[in-house]
Amino acid sequence: MASLSTDVLVIGGGATGAGVAWDAALRGFEVLLVDRADLSEGTSGRFHGLLHSGGRYVVKDPRAAEECIGENRILRHVLADCIEDTGGLFVTTPWDDPDYADRFVEGCRATGVDCEEISPAQAVGEEPRLNPEISRAFRVPDGNIDSWKTVWSMARGAQEHGGRVMTYHAAVAIHRDGDEVTGARLRDTRSGEEVDVEARVTVNAAGAWAGRVADLAGIEGVRVLPGRGIMIAMNHRLVNTVVNRCQMPTDGDIIVPIRTVSVIGTTDQHTDDPDDHTVLQAEVDAMLDDGEKLVPGFRRARALRVWTGVRPLFEDAKADSTDTRDVTRAHALLDHRERDGVSRFVTITGGKLTTFRLMAEETVDAVCRQLGEERPCATKTTQLPGSESGRHYRLGERLERKEQHLRDEQLICECEMIPRSKLEATMRRTGTMNLDDIRRLLRLGMGPCQGGFCIYRATGILHGLDGISAEDADGALLHFLQERWKGVWPILYGDQLRQARLDDWIFHGVLDVEHLPS
Amino acid sequence: MMRSELHFDAVVVGAGVAGLVAGARLAEGGARVCVLAKGVGSTHLAPGTVDVLGYAPERVDEPGRAVGELIAARPDHPYALIGVEAIGEALSWLAERVVRGPLPGYRYVGGLERNHLLPTAIGAVRPSTLVPETMAGGDLRSGGPVCIVGSPVLRDFHASLCAANLARAGIEARSVAVAIEVERADQNSLGLARRFDDADWRSAFASQLVPLLQGEERVGLPAVLGSKDPHGVWSDLEDRLARRVFEIPTLPPSVPGMRLFEVLRAALREAGGRLVLGSEVLAAERADDGRVVAVRAHASGRDVRYVASSFVLATGGFASGGVELGSDWITRETALGLAVSGAPGPGEERFVAEYVAEQPMARVGVAVDAQLRAEGAENVVVAGAALPGAVPWRELSGEGIAVASGSRAASTVLSRAAAGAAA
Repeated sequence: MASLSTDVLVIGGGATGAGVAWDAALRGFEVLLVDRADLSEGTSGRFHGLLHSGGRYVVKDPRAAEECIGENRILRHVLADCIEDTGGLFVTTPWDDPDYADRFVEGCRATGVDCEEISPAQAVGEEPRLNPEISRAFRVPDGNIDSWKTVWSMARGAQEHGGRVMTYHAAVAIHRDGDEVTGARLRDTRSGEEVDVEARVTVNAAGAWAGRVADLAGIEGVRVLPGRGIMIAMNHRLVNTVVNRCQMPTDGDIIVPIRTVSVIGTTDQHTDDPDDHTVLQAEVDAMLDDGEKLVPGFRRARALRVWTGVRPLFEDAKADSTDTRDVTRAHALLDHRERDGVSRFVTITGGKLTTFRLMAEETVDAVCRQLGEERPCATKTTQLPGSESGRHYRLGERLERKEQHLRDEQLICECEMIPRSKLEATMRRTGTMNLDDIRRLLRLGMGPCQGGFCIYRATGILHGLDGISAEDADGALLHFLQERWKGVWPILYGDQLRQARLDDWIFHGVLDVEHLPS
Repeated sequence: MMRSELHFDAVVVGAGVAGLVAGARLAEGGARVCVLAKGVGSTHLAPGTVDVLGYAPERVDEPGRAVGELIAARPDHPYALIGVEAIGEALSWLAERVVRGPLPGYRYVGGLERNHLLPTAIGAVRPSTLVPETMAGGDLRSGGPVCIVGSPVLRDFHASLCAANLARAGIEARSVAVAIEVERADQNSLGLARRFDDADWRSAFASQLVPLLQGEERVGLPAVLGSKDPHGVWSDLEDRLARRVFEIPTLPPSVPGMRLFEVLRAALREAGGRLVLGSEVLAAERADDGRVVAVRAHASGRDVRYVASSFVLATGGFASGGVELGSDWITRETALGLAVSGAPGPGEERFVAEYVAEQPMARVGVAVDAQLRAEGAENVVVAGAALPGAVPWRELSGEGIAVASGSRAASTVLSRAAAGAAA
């Protein structure tokens, strides 16, 4: 069996795990980041894209609000390229308690969240599709953040500092030597091959799956209750500013414009299984109704895709007193040396995407404590690869770049403007045979046609690369079609159903992919 | 808003294969007919073949026989209302119109006795009944090596993947790539077809290709062999390459499909029918007994009232917008407001989680009686993908249903008119 050694092994390639890898690499540790699937395939890649200002929590959870606004300011600097500075609005709709607005203002003041009241007329002037019945409106520094790009830039940043990344490697065992964790055994989920990793410290950053990883280490009582939420992407920027209902946080009260779509979210259903991606009809209906309240006519836009993410809600079943029994949305750092007498093992779970950097900082601080080393954190000021210019992402940027090469570059995905050269380079660089991985990296097939035209093209191009057989390429196409279908069938109606039926005609009627040689 | 009124014997809504066949056959039968459509139909997207039945669900070799069995097994299928004989008659009519049509020498070959087995752009093998002669050479029932020719400029056709999949299926196949110079990197099949129309360009292309070919290979090219004179382009290439040449359908736009559209449009016009594209039918005026008296259509910024004694609804299914599922999960027919059938209601399962599977929403269409007349509107006959009961994209029955039901709709309307005149 192959074996590897590293200073820090990070299990879980979401924002937190990648953040830990980046932070530790910056502090001079040798790191290995592993995930059972692709990077940000779990909760990080399944959220609405909101970079919180903290406004959402100013009344309900002031500490979370303070963390959010602090991290918001830091991330705008270090991750500039992954963030679009849309700004945000909190608006009081006819369905909201009118008294909440004053508490909101007071909360913003107390927590330091920048907030400016503007007239409803001005808000509707800036966002013409906004419900004109709103009675109050507040501007806050919300934005959107591309979590795939974020995670990949941190992974790349870690790699540039000597770190390694292994996707599709699941931890199947955590090695213990008495009271010490010494590493883990990983299994390549595609080939089945196993590899032993020896690590000075192992970090469990498996989010909603952290309880399972802790179980592997023989640590008891790490209970993460997955809270499932659905999000729906609509095929337009129905708003260009993040729009929140000015009320106590509840379901379906945020619309986030990100890239070429708007995402509405979300719900909260407790589930026992973090891999449960059920979408209930009632949840879809509720989201569409909620969308109508903020943006009348919401239902007439195309619903492109629905997905679920599982929040990791941490409950410490080991803690004995009432103060920690509460299921918390704040993040939880478990130093297992202190908690369980098991050293060289740390668990980080809970939290929200906006605060991942802070979570990573605290985690690597704990790693340093366990190793008895003092190495200061540098992620507050170090810009990630791609963000050095400090410029935020702008929606028109890709079109601008594309226009310069319009005559000499083939567009493979017209919806998301992906040129052939970029697709080929990404396929070569990652060596992946999974078009769904390419989707997360380049947004291939994420536009209105949902891969109807680009996936055949991408399959042909994949097959043209060295060492990719027709069987592999066909498999990639069929896998993509099934993955895409998962995210569309519960919300197919109107023009998007029409589009899906056109795709049926292409894949069945023209190509007959159902009868490829098996 | 300006408003005007026009009178016809019959108005056909929809200009896909079903609508154009119905319109042409009505005109040939002596009716004053107008075909109204919001835009062109599936012709520009589909491969341009006439697929009668490809899978039931096993691959169908003898479509005539298989349709007979399908009719017995599925009395709700459109073919059960049309009958095998009528399908055969409709195919003959269509083949005849292609020969008489505006594309000199171009013809369709095949019939209900046997399906062709044609390669697709990904290299699957697709059964098809009546096909352009330019594709028939690719029939994989006859053996021998094939060489698939592609060019990197056409992103909608990947020769190497096509050949590799054919090879997986046991067919001796390989691929070659030809460099084509273009001013713009994004080329679609129609742009290339226009180049093939040009004899000088074609000759240069052929001389580039000849040295790449081996032995007795058949040569498969993307379906871009000419838009104006495909027969001339195709036979010229066969001569220059001294081999059998065949076309393989690409992703849309479909050049062979556009040729079929031209053929049907010419048949309609030659018989005196009218075609108004860009004219969206917004609503129907109904009499007390449910009959449609007139339709209101919107074109060029004005509304026109079309009055007729009979109507043919050929607006297609979900893909064409003829049928629509609302966000309230209710299914509606969009042009005339007719009743639909086969649709799961709100709260019922609409789709299943597996993509390649029988979907509950698949067999939805306009509710009809045994004469294809719309439920509650006895002077409206329904044709094509608007009919319920079939899953044409998986059965490979789309054009078969369209041609046969379009023909049937025309004869129903004509005999109704004759009965009316006799009375």
